[in-house]
Amino acid sequence: MKRKKITALFAALAMTASLITGCGASGSTEDSAAADTGTTESETAEEEAAVDEGVAEESASETESAGAAEAVTIWYYWETEGHQVALDQVIQEYNASQSNYEVTAKYVPFADFKKQLSIGASADELPDIAILDSPDHASYVEMGIFEDITGKFDVGNYYEGTVNSCTVDGKLYGVPFGVNCLALYYNEDMLSEAGCEVPTTWDELMAAAKALTTDSVTGLALCSVQNEEGTFNFVPWLWSTGATSYDINNENGIRALSFIQSLINEGVMSKECINWTQGDVMNQFIAGNVAMMENGPWQIPTMQSEAPDLNWKVTLIPKDSEYSSVLGGENYAVINGGNVEGALDFLAYATSEEKVKFMMDKFGYISADKSIAENQFEADSPYQPFVEELNYAMPRGPLAEWPSVSDAISLAFNQVITGTATPEDAAAQAQATIDGIVK
Amino acid sequence: MKKLKKMFRYENAGMLFVFPAFLYMLIFVGYPIIRNIILSFQDVDAGNLVRGTKNFIMFDNYAELFIDGVFKTSLSNTLKYTILCLIFQFMIGFLLALFFNQRFTLAKPIRGILLVPWMIPITVTALMFKLLFATDIGVINFILRSLHLIDNNIEWLTTPGTAMFALICANVWIGIPFNMILISTGLTTIPKELYESASIDGANKIQTFFNITLPLLKPTIESVLILGFIYTFKVYDLVYVMTSGGPVNSTHMLSTYSYKLSFEMFKYSKGSAVANVLLAILLVVGIFYIKVTTSGEEE
Amino acid sequence: MDEEKRLATKKNILFSIVSVVLLGVLLFPLYWALITSLKTEQEIFQNPPTFYPHVLNSKSYAAQVETGDFNMFRSFANSFLISVGATAIAVVLAVPASYGIAKYHFKGRKVMLLSFLVTQMLPVSVLLTPMFIMFKNMHVYNTWVAAVLADATIGIPFSVLILKNYFSSIPKDLEEAAYLDGCNKFTAFIRILIPIAKPGVMVCAIFSFLYAWGDLAYGMTFILDQEKRPITAGIFNFMGQYGTKWSYLTAFAVVTIIPVALIFIFMQKYIVSGMTSGAVKG
Repeated sequence: MKRKKITALFAALAMTASLITGCGASGSTEDSAAADTGTTESETAEEEAAVDEGVAEESASETESAGAAEAVTIWYYWETEGHQVALDQVIQEYNASQSNYEVTAKYVPFADFKKQLSIGASADELPDIAILDSPDHASYVEMGIFEDITGKFDVGNYYEGTVNSCTVDGKLYGVPFGVNCLALYYNEDMLSEAGCEVPTTWDELMAAAKALTTDSVTGLALCSVQNEEGTFNFVPWLWSTGATSYDINNENGIRALSFIQSLINEGVMSKECINWTQGDVMNQFIAGNVAMMENGPWQIPTMQSEAPDLNWKVTLIPKDSEYSSVLGGENYAVINGGNVEGALDFLAYATSEEKVKFMMDKFGYISADKSIAENQFEADSPYQPFVEELNYAMPRGPLAEWPSVSDAISLAFNQVITGTATPEDAAAQAQATIDGIVK
Repeated sequence: MKKLKKMFRYENAGMLFVFPAFLYMLIFVGYPIIRNIILSFQDVDAGNLVRGTKNFIMFDNYAELFIDGVFKTSLSNTLKYTILCLIFQFMIGFLLALFFNQRFTLAKPIRGILLVPWMIPITVTALMFKLLFATDIGVINFILRSLHLIDNNIEWLTTPGTAMFALICANVWIGIPFNMILISTGLTTIPKELYESASIDGANKIQTFFNITLPLLKPTIESVLILGFIYTFKVYDLVYVMTSGGPVNSTHMLSTYSYKLSFEMFKYSKGSAVANVLLAILLVVGIFYIKVTTSGEEE
Repeated sequence: MDEEKRLATKKNILFSIVSVVLLGVLLFPLYWALITSLKTEQEIFQNPPTFYPHVLNSKSYAAQVETGDFNMFRSFANSFLISVGATAIAVVLAVPASYGIAKYHFKGRKVMLLSFLVTQMLPVSVLLTPMFIMFKNMHVYNTWVAAVLADATIGIPFSVLILKNYFSSIPKDLEEAAYLDGCNKFTAFIRILIPIAKPGVMVCAIFSFLYAWGDLAYGMTFILDQEKRPITAGIFNFMGQYGTKWSYLTAFAVVTIIPVALIFIFMQKYIVSGMTSGAVKG
């Protein structure tokens, strides 16, 4: 027992020595670190294996020897298993279809995605393709990590808003993966029980929500977390009044904030919404705790499998002065300095009509390609209202500083929901922030 | 003269013991600290992170902080949070340490089990407290209702003031075992003979506590409090998972705000500046700690 | 054992009862998580809440085994390896360092002590990018080694600051006796002081282990592949995936806690006896 400890200590001293000499000889951190990891490795064989694996991977991607397939890496953030499986299937098919490139996809959690891209950009450790949230696209273009792919893809048939989200200064820096937008889901049984019509205006919505609210059910829920996800759910209400994302401190902007506030004050929407992601909102809806919700089409596959007996329908988000929704979805972006050829080759494959249709169906998304989208669903499909809603959907941004604008918007809505500011004050404060960003 | 020279060599041998650890920390944390200080004087955002020139704008980022409402909230939140957490976890931890220092049958096993809250990854703790403090299904609201202390459910995590309270509760829960175990081990270093001779001299329990226990525990107490301060002050995981700084930024701490600026809003330099304010405050605490713990050692 | 003065029986019983009550209060959150994981979603939303599951529901545990993309056992093993590695580095480096600081009044001692403290003062957000760049250059990015190296930076300074007090509390005459026996500085350190400081070293190892075990940011940033990531990253994913589906989330929490808690409760016997036997005897 004692002997063991002494041996361990000598090992430590030896390591120390190598640390010192390693550093003294070259003065580089790399040397000393190498000595360092050497000792760590010997502690567990598994770790050693991990290092070897890491090195092997590295060399596989760096040496582009003839014959061997070049690696193409993709980062994406979908946590839904169905999404992952669908993407994986397309990748497998692609890999089997040719021998030049070997595509692998890695899941990076959404909460971590921006950070990983930022750090990766600093450290020059990025994938070859990123599938990212469309409002963030412009920021990364400004960062300079995306390849200009103007003229390499025909995006003529794509919805204008989706193409705009990956276009900066007239140059194309990405291809839309698929689109979605928000609409209003309602529980048909609850609605008929309460004797309500399907609401189309804010007044009708308020009346319906009041009628639907009981001891155990709240009338309406919308994800109100204070981040991009919340902004995504707020802007349809803002835009419906005629206000824009950059012009809030006016009658229209204040009316939107006041409406959301009155939903809370009337007790027809729970304050807990500020802690509910869109997934949580959907879970509350299928659990029967919520009668209506604002949500996207990607929830449909889950809803159908988890609550097959629930009677629900989708309609346009009720309007103030005009129908409005928000464009969501992801874009593919090719990273410059990576394996651009391989990335483009894969994208050409993945954006073919057949593959797009396959993935959109599995995802519960709508194709960004208008010609595909129009025939994508049967007339009575629950997705069809979303296709209609797309006509009223606008993109957020595109603007490199969108994250800051978005932060101001979601803060304003959170302030009125929590009652920490009046709609007027919240609008004024948001406007001051936004004016400081967009001059 | 000879003796002095020998003494000098003897003392310097200590350096050899410390150097490996020092070097390790210098490499892995020293470099980031310096990089961070430089970054905070620059104007790095999404536009020039990878390409383009990084300009030195000196104290502009810091100046900007002082007109930034969220920064001020974060600063006062961090202080409030740290101090309240320290007070409660230290007091409760100390009392528990004294209690379990009594030699009753279950003392050792139960003290052992009480360490469990500290072993749990903070991510999990945050999750559990989110559940406890939930408005509708939360058991805390239920208990308060049953005791007729409240009529309506409190919306703990969605109301600014109470969200902070919930965070403090969670952190105190984590911190109690930490304080307890360190004070317990500190108590074992006090020679029993001292207590025996004190009781022979007729000192009562309160006298022995203030005359023997407290003075001899001083180094332990100092360590516990200062380390507690440093670790609480840079709290990150707990807030990030439980509230993400919300509602309406009311629970943002310096660390979470720095993270948000750096990784959600692409304001890298400003995020660094926030981190450096945190560093500067802790540096003052650290110097104070060194002063206190090493005073009286050198004659 | 004989020399320990036991409390009178009456007091012993009273204190034991009080301690059990304290235990119940302090561990209530854990109990609540455990029973929530065994309830059905409907029962979780029941009002008033039930204090034990009326309908036993093990589905949330089964679901974790069934989900293909995330392997709980592997991530548990990953966490374990990372924590053991980080603990080993921390103990090996921190024990001599704290001894040096406690026993030798060399020049720059205060500065070194302060530097150890300073390394703990930066929030994780600003450490991530520079560390990432270093690990990439060392070719350990996306391996356990990166997380081990990063996690050790939490354990080392902490252990130094804690252990310093132990070594200070050991009387100088012990060492001097060792020198008289013909030991030099290093052998004195190894033969005399390490065994005496054993309880302290244990505590430092435990703390280093737990800091590494609980780490989220490093493991998530420096390891990209899901199959190499620690368990905390898994929980974080789950929270994003299942939102407020409490039965799933708490089941995950329980599976994370129970093994590590068992390990430590089991080891606690040894630790506590080491601690209470006293660092100093004669």
